[in-house]
Amino acid sequence: MSLLLDTVSYNYPGSTHGLHEVSLDVRTGELVAVIGPSGSGKSTLLKLVSGLETGHTGRIALDGEDMSRTPVHRRHIGMVFQSYALFPHLSVLDNVAYGLKLRKVATAERRQRAQALLDTVGLGEYAQRAVAQLSGGQQQRVALARALAIDPRALLLDEPLSALDASVRGHLRDQIRAIQQRFGATTLLVTHDQEEALAMADRVAMLKDGRLLQIATPREIYEQPASRAVAEFVGLSTILPAKVAGLNKLDLGFAQLAAPTGMRAPGTALHVLVRPEHIAADPAPGTPNRIAGRCGAQRYLGALTRYDFEVPGAPKPFLAESARPATEAIAIAPEHLRLLDH
Amino acid sequence: MVRGISLLYGLYLLLPIALLLVGSVGGNWTNTLLPTGLTGQWYVDLWLDTSFRKAFVSSLVVALSACAINTVLALPLAYALYHGARRGGSLAARIVSATPVAVPAITLAFGYMIVFNTDLAPWLGSMPLLIAAHAILTLPYLTNTLLTDLRHLGLDRLEQAAATLGASGWQQFSGIVLPSLRQSLISGLVMVAAISVGEFGVSNLLTSFQNRTYPVVLLQAFYGATGFACAATVILLVLASASALLSSSLVKQRAVTP
Repeated sequence: MSLLLDTVSYNYPGSTHGLHEVSLDVRTGELVAVIGPSGSGKSTLLKLVSGLETGHTGRIALDGEDMSRTPVHRRHIGMVFQSYALFPHLSVLDNVAYGLKLRKVATAERRQRAQALLDTVGLGEYAQRAVAQLSGGQQQRVALARALAIDPRALLLDEPLSALDASVRGHLRDQIRAIQQRFGATTLLVTHDQEEALAMADRVAMLKDGRLLQIATPREIYEQPASRAVAEFVGLSTILPAKVAGLNKLDLGFAQLAAPTGMRAPGTALHVLVRPEHIAADPAPGTPNRIAGRCGAQRYLGALTRYDFEVPGAPKPFLAESARPATEAIAIAPEHLRLLDH
Repeated sequence: MVRGISLLYGLYLLLPIALLLVGSVGGNWTNTLLPTGLTGQWYVDLWLDTSFRKAFVSSLVVALSACAINTVLALPLAYALYHGARRGGSLAARIVSATPVAVPAITLAFGYMIVFNTDLAPWLGSMPLLIAAHAILTLPYLTNTLLTDLRHLGLDRLEQAAATLGASGWQQFSGIVLPSLRQSLISGLVMVAAISVGEFGVSNLLTSFQNRTYPVVLLQAFYGATGFACAATVILLVLASASALLSSSLVKQRAVTP
Protein backbone atom coordinates (compact mmCIF):
# COMPACT_ATOMS: atom_id res chain seq x y z
CA MET A 1 0.00 0.00 0.00
CA SER A 2 1.39 3.32 -0.95
CA LEU A 3 -0.05 6.68 -0.10
CA LEU A 4 0.16 9.59 -2.49
CA LEU A 5 -0.74 13.22 -2.01
CA ASP A 6 -0.75 15.14 -5.26
CA THR A 7 -0.97 18.96 -5.11
CA VAL A 8 -3.38 18.85 -2.19
CA SER A 9 -4.76 22.22 -1.14
CA TYR A 10 -7.23 23.01 1.57
CA ASN A 11 -8.58 26.20 3.07
CA TYR A 12 -10.32 26.46 6.40
CA PRO A 13 -13.43 28.52 5.70
CA GLY A 14 -12.83 32.17 6.39
CA SER A 15 -9.13 31.88 7.08
CA THR A 16 -5.83 31.72 5.30
CA HIS A 17 -4.80 28.63 7.23
CA GLY A 18 -4.75 25.33 5.44
CA LEU A 19 -2.59 23.57 2.93
CA HIS A 20 -1.10 24.89 -0.28
CA GLU A 21 -0.31 22.41 -3.04
CA VAL A 22 1.31 19.77 -0.87
CA SER A 23 2.65 16.76 -2.74
CA LEU A 24 4.26 13.83 -1.02
CA ASP A 25 4.27 10.09 -1.18
CA VAL A 26 4.63 7.37 1.40
CA ARG A 27 5.95 4.13 -0.04
CA THR A 28 4.77 0.72 1.07
CA GLY A 29 5.92 0.03 4.63
CA GLU A 30 7.57 3.40 4.92
CA LEU A 31 7.19 5.77 7.86
CA VAL A 32 7.09 9.41 6.86
CA ALA A 33 7.08 11.94 9.66
CA VAL A 34 5.41 15.29 9.06
CA ILE A 35 6.85 18.00 11.25
CA GLY A 36 6.30 21.70 11.54
CA PRO A 37 5.40 24.41 14.02
CA SER A 38 1.80 24.64 15.23
CA GLY A 39 -0.45 26.05 12.56
CA SER A 40 1.77 24.63 9.83
CA GLY A 41 -1.04 22.42 8.54
CA LYS A 42 0.35 19.07 9.59
CA SER A 43 -2.76 18.07 11.50
CA THR A 44 -4.93 19.21 8.62
CA LEU A 45 -2.91 16.99 6.33
CA LEU A 46 -3.58 13.99 8.54
CA LYS A 47 -7.28 14.77 8.84
CA LEU A 48 -7.58 15.01 5.06
CA VAL A 49 -5.87 11.66 4.57
CA SER A 50 -8.08 10.03 7.19
CA GLY A 51 -11.20 11.62 5.75
CA LEU A 52 -12.13 13.35 9.02
CA GLU A 53 -11.76 16.59 7.11
CA THR A 54 -13.00 16.90 3.55
CA GLY A 55 -13.19 19.48 0.84
CA HIS A 56 -9.64 19.61 -0.48
CA THR A 57 -8.48 19.99 -4.03
CA GLY A 58 -5.89 17.70 -5.53
CA ARG A 59 -5.60 13.97 -5.16
CA ILE A 60 -5.16 11.73 -2.13
CA ALA A 61 -4.66 8.19 -3.38
CA LEU A 62 -4.05 4.82 -1.78
CA ASP A 63 -2.37 2.42 -4.19
CA GLY A 64 -3.47 4.64 -7.04
CA GLU A 65 -7.10 4.72 -5.95
CA ASP A 66 -8.38 8.23 -5.30
CA MET A 67 -9.80 8.47 -1.79
CA SER A 68 -11.25 11.97 -2.04
CA ARG A 69 -14.84 10.81 -2.35
CA THR A 70 -14.61 7.89 0.08
CA PRO A 71 -16.10 8.66 3.50
CA VAL A 72 -13.89 8.19 6.51
CA HIS A 73 -15.46 4.92 7.66
CA ARG A 74 -14.83 3.23 4.32
CA ARG A 75 -11.19 4.22 3.92
CA HIS A 76 -9.74 1.45 6.10
CA ILE A 77 -7.10 3.77 7.45
CA GLY A 78 -5.99 3.13 11.02
CA MET A 79 -5.47 6.16 13.19
CA VAL A 80 -3.85 6.73 16.56
CA PHE A 81 -4.79 9.94 18.35
CA GLN A 82 -2.82 12.09 20.74
CA SER A 83 -5.56 11.66 23.36
CA TYR A 84 -5.71 7.86 22.84
CA ALA A 85 -9.51 8.10 22.26
CA LEU A 86 -10.17 4.64 23.65
CA PHE A 87 -13.80 3.78 24.26
CA PRO A 88 -14.30 4.04 28.02
CA HIS A 89 -17.31 1.71 28.15
CA LEU A 90 -15.48 -1.18 26.49
CA SER A 91 -12.80 -3.47 27.91
CA VAL A 92 -9.29 -3.34 26.51
CA LEU A 93 -9.96 -6.42 24.39
CA ASP A 94 -13.27 -5.08 23.08
CA ASN A 95 -11.58 -1.82 22.15
CA VAL A 96 -9.11 -3.67 19.98
CA ALA A 97 -11.86 -5.90 18.56
CA TYR A 98 -14.20 -2.99 17.80
CA GLY A 99 -13.14 -2.55 14.18
CA LEU A 100 -13.40 -6.29 13.58
CA LYS A 101 -16.89 -6.35 15.08
CA LEU A 102 -17.93 -3.66 12.60
CA ARG A 103 -16.51 -5.85 9.85
CA LYS A 104 -18.73 -8.69 11.08
CA VAL A 105 -15.85 -10.95 12.02
CA ALA A 106 -17.17 -13.85 14.14
CA THR A 107 -16.87 -13.38 17.91
CA ALA A 108 -14.35 -16.16 18.54
CA GLU A 109 -12.09 -15.08 15.71
CA ARG A 110 -12.11 -11.40 16.54
CA ARG A 111 -11.34 -12.14 20.18
CA GLN A 112 -8.45 -14.28 19.13
CA ARG A 113 -7.09 -11.67 16.75
CA ALA A 114 -7.51 -8.88 19.29
CA GLN A 115 -5.74 -10.97 21.91
CA ALA A 116 -2.87 -11.66 19.51
CA LEU A 117 -2.49 -7.94 18.85
CA LEU A 118 -2.53 -7.16 22.56
CA ASP A 119 0.22 -9.75 23.00
CA THR A 120 2.18 -8.00 20.26
CA VAL A 121 2.04 -4.66 22.07
CA GLY A 122 2.88 -6.41 25.34
CA LEU A 123 -0.49 -6.00 27.01
CA GLY A 124 -1.81 -9.55 26.67
CA GLU A 125 -2.69 -9.90 30.33
CA TYR A 126 -4.61 -6.62 30.39
CA ALA A 127 -7.27 -7.81 27.94
CA GLN A 128 -10.16 -7.83 30.40
CA ARG A 129 -9.22 -4.62 32.19
CA ALA A 130 -11.16 -1.40 31.93
CA VAL A 131 -9.45 1.25 29.85
CA ALA A 132 -9.29 3.68 32.76
CA GLN A 133 -7.11 1.25 34.73
CA LEU A 134 -4.25 1.61 32.23
CA SER A 135 -1.48 4.18 32.22
CA GLY A 136 -1.16 6.66 29.37
CA GLY A 137 1.56 4.68 27.64
CA GLN A 138 -0.44 1.47 27.94
CA GLN A 139 -3.55 3.17 26.59
CA GLN A 140 -1.63 4.39 23.58
CA ARG A 141 -0.38 0.86 22.91
CA VAL A 142 -3.97 -0.36 23.04
CA ALA A 143 -4.88 2.39 20.59
CA LEU A 144 -2.11 1.20 18.27
CA ALA A 145 -3.34 -2.40 18.51
CA ARG A 146 -6.88 -1.20 17.80
CA ALA A 147 -5.75 0.66 14.69
CA LEU A 148 -3.72 -2.31 13.44
CA ALA A 149 -6.57 -4.76 14.09
CA ILE A 150 -8.49 -3.65 11.03
CA ASP A 151 -5.46 -4.49 8.87
CA PRO A 152 -5.37 -0.87 7.71
CA ARG A 153 -4.29 0.23 4.26
CA ALA A 154 -2.34 3.02 5.93
CA LEU A 155 -1.58 4.00 9.50
CA LEU A 156 -1.85 7.57 10.72
CA LEU A 157 -0.20 8.59 13.97
CA ASP A 158 -1.34 11.98 15.25
CA GLU A 159 1.14 13.18 17.88
CA PRO A 160 0.99 9.73 19.50
CA LEU A 161 3.55 10.48 22.20
CA SER A 162 2.83 14.10 23.02
CA ALA A 163 0.56 13.40 25.98
CA LEU A 164 3.04 11.05 27.64
CA ASP A 165 5.77 11.54 30.22
CA ALA A 166 9.27 11.90 28.87
CA SER A 167 10.31 8.70 30.64
CA VAL A 168 7.71 6.65 28.74
CA ARG A 169 8.11 8.43 25.43
CA GLY A 170 11.50 7.14 24.39
CA HIS A 171 10.64 3.52 25.01
CA LEU A 172 7.23 3.71 23.35
CA ARG A 173 8.77 5.49 20.37
CA ASP A 174 11.04 2.52 19.74
CA GLN A 175 8.18 0.09 20.30
CA ILE A 176 5.84 1.83 17.88
CA ARG A 177 8.58 1.93 15.26
CA ALA A 178 9.37 -1.77 15.73
CA ILE A 179 5.71 -2.79 15.44
CA GLN A 180 5.20 -0.52 12.43
CA GLN A 181 8.11 -2.19 10.67
CA ARG A 182 6.94 -5.65 11.65
CA PHE A 183 3.48 -5.04 10.17
CA GLY A 184 4.96 -3.24 7.18
CA ALA A 185 2.40 -0.50 7.76
CA THR A 186 2.54 2.46 5.40
CA THR A 187 2.63 5.17 8.01
CA LEU A 188 2.26 8.91 8.28
CA LEU A 189 3.39 10.33 11.62
CA VAL A 190 2.54 13.86 12.62
CA THR A 191 4.60 15.39 15.39
CA HIS A 192 5.85 18.75 16.57
CA ASP A 193 8.84 17.00 18.12
CA GLN A 194 11.59 17.03 15.52
CA GLU A 195 13.74 14.67 17.59
CA GLU A 196 10.94 12.10 17.54
CA ALA A 197 10.65 12.52 13.78
CA LEU A 198 14.37 12.07 13.18
CA ALA A 199 14.49 9.02 15.43
CA MET A 200 11.48 7.20 14.01
CA ALA A 201 11.05 8.12 10.38
CA ASP A 202 12.39 6.79 7.10
CA ARG A 203 11.78 10.22 5.70
CA VAL A 204 10.80 13.54 7.22
CA ALA A 205 8.52 16.10 5.61
CA MET A 206 8.70 19.63 6.92
CA LEU A 207 5.62 21.83 6.63
CA LYS A 208 5.37 25.52 7.33
CA ASP A 209 2.42 27.82 6.73
CA GLY A 210 0.69 25.05 4.84
CA ARG A 211 3.57 24.52 2.43
CA LEU A 212 5.91 21.57 2.11
CA LEU A 213 9.43 22.93 2.52
CA GLN A 214 11.41 19.72 2.24
CA ILE A 215 10.98 15.97 2.31
CA ALA A 216 14.14 13.95 2.86
CA THR A 217 15.75 11.30 5.02
CA PRO A 218 16.41 12.34 8.64
CA ARG A 219 20.14 12.58 7.92
CA GLU A 220 19.62 14.70 4.85
CA ILE A 221 17.14 17.04 6.48
CA TYR A 222 19.50 17.54 9.42
CA GLU A 223 22.70 17.85 7.47
CA GLN A 224 21.42 19.49 4.32
CA PRO A 225 18.36 21.54 5.20
CA ALA A 226 16.88 23.15 2.12
CA SER A 227 16.13 26.46 3.77
CA ARG A 228 16.50 28.52 6.91
CA ALA A 229 13.03 27.55 8.11
CA VAL A 230 13.92 23.87 7.97
CA ALA A 231 17.29 24.42 9.60
CA GLU A 232 15.75 26.45 12.41
CA PHE A 233 13.14 23.81 13.14
CA VAL A 234 15.26 20.69 12.88
CA GLY A 235 17.96 20.33 15.47
CA LEU A 236 19.95 22.99 17.29
CA SER A 237 22.02 25.45 15.31
CA THR A 238 23.44 28.92 14.97
CA ILE A 239 22.29 30.73 11.84
CA LEU A 240 24.01 33.97 10.90
CA PRO A 241 23.71 36.32 7.92
CA ALA A 242 26.76 36.35 5.65
CA LYS A 243 27.96 37.56 2.30
CA VAL A 244 30.10 35.77 -0.28
CA ALA A 245 33.43 37.62 -0.29
CA GLY A 246 35.10 35.62 -3.02
CA LEU A 247 35.70 32.03 -4.06
CA ASN A 248 35.31 29.93 -0.89
CA LYS A 249 35.39 33.05 1.22
CA LEU A 250 32.61 34.22 3.46
CA ASP A 251 32.21 37.57 5.20
CA LEU A 252 30.22 37.44 8.43
CA GLY A 253 30.98 41.05 9.33
CA PHE A 254 32.80 40.14 12.51
CA ALA A 255 34.86 37.38 10.88
CA GLN A 256 36.12 36.13 7.54
CA LEU A 257 35.62 32.41 7.13
CA ALA A 258 36.56 29.81 4.58
CA ALA A 259 33.51 27.94 3.29
CA PRO A 260 32.50 26.06 0.13
CA THR A 261 30.74 28.87 -1.74
CA GLY A 262 30.46 26.88 -4.97
CA MET A 263 29.22 28.87 -7.94
CA ARG A 264 27.82 31.78 -5.91
CA ALA A 265 28.92 35.20 -7.15
CA PRO A 266 30.83 37.49 -4.78
CA GLY A 267 28.46 39.82 -2.92
CA THR A 268 25.64 37.23 -2.71
CA ALA A 269 23.78 37.59 0.59
CA LEU A 270 22.92 34.33 2.34
CA HIS A 271 22.83 32.67 5.72
CA VAL A 272 25.31 30.29 7.20
CA LEU A 273 24.38 27.39 9.46
CA VAL A 274 26.57 25.81 12.13
CA ARG A 275 25.54 22.80 14.21
CA PRO A 276 26.73 22.90 17.83
CA GLU A 277 28.61 19.58 17.57
CA HIS A 278 30.74 20.97 14.72
CA ILE A 279 32.24 23.73 16.80
CA ALA A 280 35.68 22.80 18.10
CA ALA A 281 36.70 24.27 21.44
CA ASP A 282 40.00 26.05 21.93
CA PRO A 283 41.71 24.98 18.66
CA ALA A 284 45.46 25.31 18.20
CA PRO A 285 46.53 28.73 16.92
CA GLY A 286 46.59 28.73 13.13
CA THR A 287 43.60 26.41 12.77
CA PRO A 288 41.41 27.54 9.83
CA ASN A 289 38.25 29.49 10.75
CA ARG A 290 39.45 30.18 14.25
CA ILE A 291 37.29 32.77 16.04
CA ALA A 292 38.25 34.33 19.34
CA GLY A 293 35.73 35.27 21.99
CA ARG A 294 34.52 34.16 25.38
CA CYS A 295 32.23 31.56 26.88
CA GLY A 296 28.72 32.67 27.91
CA ALA A 297 25.90 30.63 29.45
CA GLN A 298 26.62 26.94 30.04
CA ARG A 299 24.27 23.97 30.40
CA TYR A 300 25.81 20.83 31.79
CA LEU A 301 24.25 17.79 30.06
CA GLY A 302 26.42 14.97 31.40
CA ALA A 303 28.64 13.77 28.59
CA LEU A 304 28.53 17.20 27.01
CA THR A 305 28.24 20.80 27.99
CA ARG A 306 26.18 23.04 25.73
CA TYR A 307 27.33 26.63 25.86
CA ASP A 308 27.02 29.99 24.21
CA PHE A 309 30.22 31.35 22.74
CA GLU A 310 30.18 35.11 22.48
CA VAL A 311 32.18 36.75 19.72
CA PRO A 312 32.64 40.53 19.74
CA GLY A 313 30.60 42.08 16.93
CA ALA A 314 28.52 38.96 16.23
CA PRO A 315 24.71 39.49 16.17
CA LYS A 316 24.25 36.49 18.46
CA PRO A 317 26.43 33.94 20.23
CA PHE A 318 27.38 30.60 18.70
CA LEU A 319 25.68 27.60 20.24
CA ALA A 320 28.31 24.94 20.80
CA GLU A 321 28.65 21.52 22.40
CA SER A 322 31.73 19.80 23.67
CA ALA A 323 33.04 17.84 26.63
CA ARG A 324 34.67 21.01 27.91
CA PRO A 325 33.49 24.50 26.93
CA ALA A 326 35.85 26.76 24.99
CA THR A 327 37.58 29.43 27.00
CA GLU A 328 39.07 31.72 24.37
CA ALA A 329 38.41 30.54 20.84
CA ILE A 330 36.40 28.22 18.64
CA ALA A 331 36.90 26.86 15.15
CA ILE A 332 34.51 25.50 12.53
CA ALA A 333 35.85 23.31 9.76
CA PRO A 334 34.93 24.82 6.35
CA GLU A 335 32.96 21.71 5.29
CA HIS A 336 30.73 22.15 8.34
CA LEU A 337 29.57 25.60 7.34
CA ARG A 338 26.25 25.03 5.56
CA LEU A 339 25.19 27.83 3.25
CA LEU A 340 21.47 28.58 3.05
CA ASP A 341 20.37 30.62 0.04
CA HIS A 342 16.84 31.17 1.33
CA MET B 1 -18.51 28.04 60.66
CA VAL B 2 -19.15 26.28 57.37
CA ARG B 3 -20.16 23.16 59.23
CA GLY B 4 -22.56 25.17 61.35
CA ILE B 5 -24.22 26.68 58.29
CA SER B 6 -24.59 23.33 56.55
CA LEU B 7 -25.98 21.82 59.75
CA LEU B 8 -28.54 24.61 59.99
CA TYR B 9 -29.41 24.28 56.32
CA GLY B 10 -29.79 20.52 56.61
CA LEU B 11 -32.08 21.00 59.59
CA TYR B 12 -34.11 23.53 57.60
CA LEU B 13 -34.45 20.98 54.78
CA LEU B 14 -35.13 17.91 56.86
CA LEU B 15 -37.29 19.34 59.64
CA PRO B 16 -40.45 19.68 57.51
CA ILE B 17 -40.01 16.11 56.29
CA ALA B 18 -39.51 14.89 59.84
CA LEU B 19 -42.57 16.79 61.00
CA LEU B 20 -44.60 15.29 58.14
CA LEU B 21 -43.52 11.80 59.13
CA VAL B 22 -44.38 12.44 62.77
CA GLY B 23 -47.68 14.07 61.87
CA SER B 24 -48.71 11.23 59.59
CA VAL B 25 -48.69 8.75 62.48
CA GLY B 26 -49.89 11.21 65.13
CA GLY B 27 -53.42 10.83 66.51
CA ASN B 28 -54.36 14.43 67.22
CA TRP B 29 -52.46 17.58 66.22
CA THR B 30 -54.04 20.94 66.90
CA ASN B 31 -52.33 23.96 68.42
CA THR B 32 -49.45 21.89 69.89
CA LEU B 33 -45.81 21.60 68.98
CA LEU B 34 -46.07 17.88 68.38
CA PRO B 35 -49.06 15.62 67.82
CA THR B 36 -50.40 13.36 70.58
CA GLY B 37 -51.10 9.65 70.28
CA LEU B 38 -49.87 7.11 67.74
CA THR B 39 -52.03 5.79 64.94
CA GLY B 40 -51.89 4.23 61.46
CA GLN B 41 -55.41 5.40 60.79
CA TRP B 42 -54.45 8.20 58.37
CA TYR B 43 -52.72 5.77 56.02
CA VAL B 44 -55.72 3.43 56.14
CA ASP B 45 -58.01 6.37 55.38
CA LEU B 46 -55.75 7.35 52.50
CA TRP B 47 -55.81 3.83 51.09
CA LEU B 48 -59.59 3.71 51.30
CA ASP B 49 -59.91 7.06 49.51
CA THR B 50 -60.40 6.16 45.82
CA SER B 51 -59.59 9.62 44.52
CA PHE B 52 -56.11 9.41 46.06
CA ARG B 53 -55.56 5.91 44.72
CA LYS B 54 -56.53 7.02 41.25
CA ALA B 55 -54.35 10.11 41.45
CA PHE B 56 -51.43 7.96 42.54
CA VAL B 57 -51.78 5.84 39.39
CA SER B 58 -52.26 8.90 37.19
CA SER B 59 -49.06 10.49 38.47
CA LEU B 60 -47.11 7.30 37.82
CA VAL B 61 -48.47 7.03 34.29
CA VAL B 62 -47.71 10.67 33.52
CA ALA B 63 -44.18 10.54 34.95
CA LEU B 64 -43.21 7.31 33.22
CA SER B 65 -44.71 8.45 29.91
CA ALA B 66 -42.81 11.73 30.16
CA CYS B 67 -39.61 9.76 30.81
CA ALA B 68 -40.22 7.53 27.78
CA ILE B 69 -41.04 10.45 25.47
CA ASN B 70 -38.07 12.48 26.69
CA THR B 71 -35.67 9.59 26.17
CA VAL B 72 -36.76 9.37 22.55
CA LEU B 73 -36.63 13.15 22.03
CA ALA B 74 -33.72 14.34 24.16
CA LEU B 75 -31.02 11.94 22.94
CA PRO B 76 -31.15 12.94 19.28
CA LEU B 77 -31.85 16.54 20.24
CA ALA B 78 -28.83 16.82 22.52
CA TYR B 79 -26.68 15.02 19.96
CA ALA B 80 -27.78 17.34 17.16
CA LEU B 81 -27.29 20.39 19.36
CA TYR B 82 -23.82 19.22 20.34
CA HIS B 83 -22.71 18.85 16.75
CA GLY B 84 -24.61 21.95 15.68
CA ALA B 85 -22.93 24.04 18.35
CA ARG B 86 -19.53 22.89 17.18
CA ARG B 87 -20.38 24.08 13.73
CA GLY B 88 -21.30 27.48 15.11
CA GLY B 89 -25.08 27.29 15.33
CA SER B 90 -25.21 27.49 19.10
CA LEU B 91 -28.25 29.78 19.25
CA ALA B 92 -30.60 26.79 19.23
CA ALA B 93 -28.61 25.22 22.04
CA ARG B 94 -28.83 28.35 24.11
CA ILE B 95 -32.58 28.67 23.55
CA VAL B 96 -33.15 25.09 24.66
CA SER B 97 -31.03 25.43 27.75
CA ALA B 98 -32.54 28.77 28.77
CA THR B 99 -36.18 27.84 28.18
CA PRO B 100 -37.04 26.36 31.59
CA VAL B 101 -35.61 29.39 33.35
CA ALA B 102 -36.91 32.08 31.03
CA VAL B 103 -40.42 30.77 30.40
CA PRO B 104 -42.53 30.03 33.49
CA ALA B 105 -44.34 26.71 33.32
CA ILE B 106 -47.61 28.47 33.91
CA THR B 107 -47.25 30.23 30.53
CA LEU B 108 -47.23 26.85 28.85
CA ALA B 109 -50.35 25.84 30.76
CA PHE B 110 -52.29 28.96 29.80
CA GLY B 111 -51.19 28.55 26.20
CA TYR B 112 -52.49 24.99 26.21
CA MET B 113 -55.76 26.14 27.77
CA ILE B 114 -56.34 28.55 24.92
CA VAL B 115 -55.23 26.29 22.08
CA PHE B 116 -56.76 23.01 23.24
CA ASN B 117 -60.08 24.39 24.36
CA THR B 118 -61.24 24.93 20.77
CA ASP B 119 -63.52 22.87 18.55
CA LEU B 120 -60.56 22.11 16.33
CA ALA B 121 -58.55 20.58 19.17
CA PRO B 122 -60.83 19.89 22.13
CA TRP B 123 -58.29 17.95 24.15
CA LEU B 124 -58.06 20.02 27.30
CA GLY B 125 -58.24 17.73 30.31
CA SER B 126 -57.18 14.61 28.41
CA MET B 127 -54.38 12.39 29.61
CA PRO B 128 -52.23 12.64 26.44
CA LEU B 129 -52.26 16.43 26.66
CA LEU B 130 -51.17 16.31 30.29
CA ILE B 131 -48.38 13.90 29.39
CA ALA B 132 -47.31 16.14 26.50
CA ALA B 133 -47.17 19.15 28.81
CA HIS B 134 -45.05 17.28 31.34
CA ALA B 135 -42.77 16.01 28.61
CA ILE B 136 -42.20 19.49 27.20
CA LEU B 137 -41.75 20.94 30.66
CA THR B 138 -39.04 18.46 31.62
CA LEU B 139 -37.35 18.01 28.22
CA PRO B 140 -34.83 20.87 28.63
CA TYR B 141 -33.59 19.44 31.92
CA LEU B 142 -32.81 16.10 30.35
CA THR B 143 -31.37 17.71 27.21
CA ASN B 144 -29.13 19.92 29.31
CA THR B 145 -27.88 17.02 31.38
CA LEU B 146 -27.01 15.10 28.22
CA LEU B 147 -25.42 18.13 26.56
CA THR B 148 -23.19 18.77 29.55
CA ASP B 149 -22.06 15.17 29.49
CA LEU B 150 -21.46 15.21 25.73
CA ARG B 151 -19.22 18.25 26.11
CA HIS B 152 -17.50 16.88 29.18
CA LEU B 153 -16.70 13.51 27.64
CA GLY B 154 -15.40 15.06 24.41
CA LEU B 155 -17.35 12.46 22.49
CA ASP B 156 -16.34 13.88 19.12
CA ARG B 157 -12.87 12.39 19.63
CA LEU B 158 -14.34 8.97 20.31
CA GLU B 159 -16.62 9.31 17.31
CA GLN B 160 -13.67 10.18 15.10
CA ALA B 161 -11.80 7.15 16.39
CA ALA B 162 -14.84 4.95 15.71
CA ALA B 163 -15.19 6.43 12.23
CA THR B 164 -11.61 5.58 11.29
CA LEU B 165 -12.28 2.04 12.49
CA GLY B 166 -15.19 1.77 10.07
CA ALA B 167 -18.24 2.94 12.04
CA SER B 168 -20.94 4.73 10.07
CA GLY B 169 -22.74 7.69 11.61
CA TRP B 170 -25.45 5.48 13.06
CA GLN B 171 -22.94 2.94 14.37
CA GLN B 172 -21.01 5.74 16.07
CA PHE B 173 -24.19 6.95 17.73
CA SER B 174 -25.51 3.58 18.83
CA GLY B 175 -22.21 1.92 19.67
CA ILE B 176 -20.22 4.77 21.18
CA VAL B 177 -22.35 7.80 22.02
CA LEU B 178 -25.36 6.03 23.52
CA PRO B 179 -23.44 3.72 25.88
CA SER B 180 -21.24 6.61 27.00
CA LEU B 181 -24.28 8.70 27.86
CA ARG B 182 -25.87 5.97 30.00
CA GLN B 183 -25.00 7.60 33.30
CA SER B 184 -26.22 11.07 32.42
CA LEU B 185 -29.35 9.64 30.82
CA ILE B 186 -30.17 7.88 34.08
CA SER B 187 -29.57 10.93 36.21
CA GLY B 188 -31.50 13.10 33.75
CA LEU B 189 -34.47 10.75 33.83
CA VAL B 190 -34.45 10.71 37.61
CA MET B 191 -34.77 14.46 37.46
CA VAL B 192 -37.57 14.25 34.88
CA ALA B 193 -39.51 11.76 37.01
CA ALA B 194 -39.05 13.77 40.19
CA ILE B 195 -40.11 17.04 38.54
CA SER B 196 -43.12 15.40 36.89
CA VAL B 197 -44.35 13.71 40.05
CA GLY B 198 -44.07 16.88 42.11
CA GLU B 199 -45.39 19.24 39.42
CA PHE B 200 -48.48 21.13 40.57
CA GLY B 201 -49.09 24.35 38.63
CA VAL B 202 -49.44 23.04 35.10
CA SER B 203 -51.17 19.83 36.19
CA ASN B 204 -53.72 21.75 38.22
CA LEU B 205 -54.70 23.84 35.19
CA LEU B 206 -54.68 21.05 32.58
CA THR B 207 -56.25 18.05 34.30
CA SER B 208 -59.86 17.06 34.29
CA PHE B 209 -61.47 15.54 37.38
CA GLN B 210 -60.89 12.07 35.94
CA ASN B 211 -57.12 12.15 35.70
CA ARG B 212 -55.93 14.50 38.39
CA THR B 213 -52.34 13.90 39.44
CA TYR B 214 -51.36 13.31 43.02
CA PRO B 215 -50.22 16.85 43.94
CA VAL B 216 -53.50 18.27 42.62
CA VAL B 217 -55.56 15.96 44.84
CA LEU B 218 -53.16 16.48 47.72
CA LEU B 219 -54.15 20.16 47.98
CA GLN B 220 -57.61 19.06 49.06
CA ALA B 221 -56.24 16.98 51.90
CA PHE B 222 -55.12 20.11 53.67
CA TYR B 223 -58.70 21.24 54.06
CA GLY B 224 -59.25 18.15 56.27
CA ALA B 225 -57.42 16.59 59.21
CA THR B 226 -53.71 17.44 59.63
CA GLY B 227 -52.70 13.80 60.08
CA PHE B 228 -54.42 12.84 56.85
CA ALA B 229 -52.65 15.65 54.95
CA CYS B 230 -49.32 14.59 56.42
CA ALA B 231 -49.86 10.97 55.42
CA ALA B 232 -50.85 12.01 51.87
CA THR B 233 -47.72 14.17 51.55
CA VAL B 234 -45.49 11.37 52.80
CA ILE B 235 -46.96 9.17 50.06
CA LEU B 236 -46.03 11.83 47.45
CA LEU B 237 -42.51 11.82 48.82
CA VAL B 238 -42.38 8.04 48.48
CA LEU B 239 -43.90 8.24 45.01
CA ALA B 240 -41.32 10.74 43.82
CA SER B 241 -38.39 8.69 45.10
CA ALA B 242 -39.91 5.45 43.83
CA SER B 243 -40.46 6.75 40.30
CA ALA B 244 -36.92 8.02 40.24
CA LEU B 245 -35.65 4.60 41.29
CA LEU B 246 -37.87 2.82 38.83
CA SER B 247 -36.82 4.89 35.82
CA SER B 248 -33.17 4.46 36.65
CA SER B 249 -33.46 0.68 36.98
CA LEU B 250 -35.36 0.53 33.69
CA VAL B 251 -32.65 2.42 31.89
CA LYS B 252 -29.98 0.22 33.41
CA GLN B 253 -31.70 -2.92 32.17
CA ARG B 254 -32.13 -1.51 28.69
CA ALA B 255 -28.52 -0.50 28.55
CA VAL B 256 -27.25 -3.91 29.62
CA THR B 257 -29.24 -5.92 27.11
CA PRO B 258 -27.78 -5.09 23.69
